[in-house]
Amino acid sequence: MSVVGQSTKFSTVALPVLAWLVALVFFFPIFWMMLTSFKTDADAVKPEFLFIFKPTLENYINMTENYDYWRFAVNSVITTVFATAFSLFVGVSSAYAMAFNPGRHTKDILMWMLSTKMLPAAAVLYPMTFLTKSFLNLFDTHFLIILVLSLINLPIVIWMLFTYFKEIPKEIIEAGKMDGCSVWGEIKDIVLPLAWGGLASTALLCFIFCWNEAYWTVRLTTTDAATLSKLIEGNRAPEGLFFGRLSAVSTAAVGPIVVLGWFCQKQLVRGLTFGAVK
Amino acid sequence: MSSRALPRLLQAPAVILLLLWMLVPLGMTLFFSFIRYVLNNLRRPEWTTPSIENWRGFGNYEYVLYKAKDFWLAAQNSLIIVGSIIFVTVVLGLAIAILINRTFPGRSIVRVLLISPFFVMPAVNAVLWINMILDPVLGLNGLAVEGLNTMAASLREAPLLGQFFSLWPKIEPVSFRATQTAALAVIIMVSWQWTPFAVLIFMTSLQSEDQQQKEAAILDGVGAWAQFRYLTIPHLARPIAIVVMIQAIFHLSLYAEIEIVSRGNGNKNLPYLIGEFASNNIGAASATGILAVIMANIVAIFLLRIVGKSLMD
Repeated sequence: MSVVGQSTKFSTVALPVLAWLVALVFFFPIFWMMLTSFKTDADAVKPEFLFIFKPTLENYINMTENYDYWRFAVNSVITTVFATAFSLFVGVSSAYAMAFNPGRHTKDILMWMLSTKMLPAAAVLYPMTFLTKSFLNLFDTHFLIILVLSLINLPIVIWMLFTYFKEIPKEIIEAGKMDGCSVWGEIKDIVLPLAWGGLASTALLCFIFCWNEAYWTVRLTTTDAATLSKLIEGNRAPEGLFFGRLSAVSTAAVGPIVVLGWFCQKQLVRGLTFGAVK
Repeated sequence: MSSRALPRLLQAPAVILLLLWMLVPLGMTLFFSFIRYVLNNLRRPEWTTPSIENWRGFGNYEYVLYKAKDFWLAAQNSLIIVGSIIFVTVVLGLAIAILINRTFPGRSIVRVLLISPFFVMPAVNAVLWINMILDPVLGLNGLAVEGLNTMAASLREAPLLGQFFSLWPKIEPVSFRATQTAALAVIIMVSWQWTPFAVLIFMTSLQSEDQQQKEAAILDGVGAWAQFRYLTIPHLARPIAIVVMIQAIFHLSLYAEIEIVSRGNGNKNLPYLIGEFASNNIGAASATGILAVIMANIVAIFLLRIVGKSLMD
């Protein structure tokens, strides 16, 4: 930033130092969780081993024994991957229709889609359990979780794709039509290659949201389709006797997503503000 | 078939899916909110099946609003928790965004560190904070207080100054699961998670601020505060509004954090109250749910208006 006449000591030394301090404070809980995951449960609550201790991988090695981590992790991966794929599949065709062939009501439809996102989940909790348990027999199945996760995220996916598709010049699409492209050909050969980056960041964001979802995944599952959110909420170890293993399983649950998040910080803004801030 | 009909049809799957997803459960909630419907009642077994015969009109609403003691408390808690989180995240978010909106060594690392909390699963966030950081005995909170007390105790032994330190009281660590502080615990942990969100959005927006205008202001001798007040704040008005409303919508439905911190003791909000009602009284739970939907919609209308403006340009 080239702001004139601000090269005082204060702004060149003190402010960056302060920025670093703030960043470290915000990152500290995550760092603390990572650090504790390498301590034994006994060491984790002893003040003398706060920072200096004998690191151990025991917690990670025993994760399966203590928490059955892999079963939950596999469920998280399955539901997240399929839900992301499904919302992208539905989202691409819908966003294509709205971006390139807008009708009189396109704007209203988009707004309405967004408004479904604002429905408090708790309000429809009972009907959802009732329907899935007694009528559809889908309770605690991967299919249900995949469907719910993709529906929750569909509005955001459509909105993000819509803003990316709008950036593609209409003339290119028209030219494709002249050359006799079918609708599918248009999507496959023109829109998707041009909006590739947008598609990738939409997928990434959708993946993160699905992975972190903690209301429906906890309440619509018991064992078969239970994800990592359910594992953590079910094992919150009230007396804190198991800080070491709790930290290990938490680190393993959030680690991949935090790293993914770093890569899509910029796109995140567009997704989270529904394209209103770019 | 006209050349536009097929492309238009492509939006149908999404519309139909979302329509079902919204209308079916919401319609059921609305219906349940007008009938007597409980899961267990030995004296009146007919109330345990949802049926139009058990029509109660606005009885459930009346019960929730006037007779059940927790509705107003929960509504108040919801508003206090949401309001405090928004206040903290917007103020901190603005300050931090302005702080890092300059070039300095390691800026990209600072950004990465700062944004990280936002990607932590809500359940992990709550478990981590309430057990390992805020716990009055085993958490860092307890350890820090204990450390301070030990230090004070050893200083009391010191010659000369010992007299002075003997005046120091022994500090008791605050328990964040208690009724008075459980809401505070939720506010702290959610603010930690969502301040990065505010920072990210404000930062993106600051980067699009008109630098020429700013430089002109500096040449004209406008002070830093006036620049902030008359250039930056108006520029950030829309992002601030969006941050406020998106958070309002998300935090009005907080659940995992409430459950993990104290199971609603001292921080019971509307979603948690709905969960409590739903363990037996589905009618009351549904009525509370509809009231929560109305509350969320009030916020949503404003948000949609702002977002809608930027939609077609």
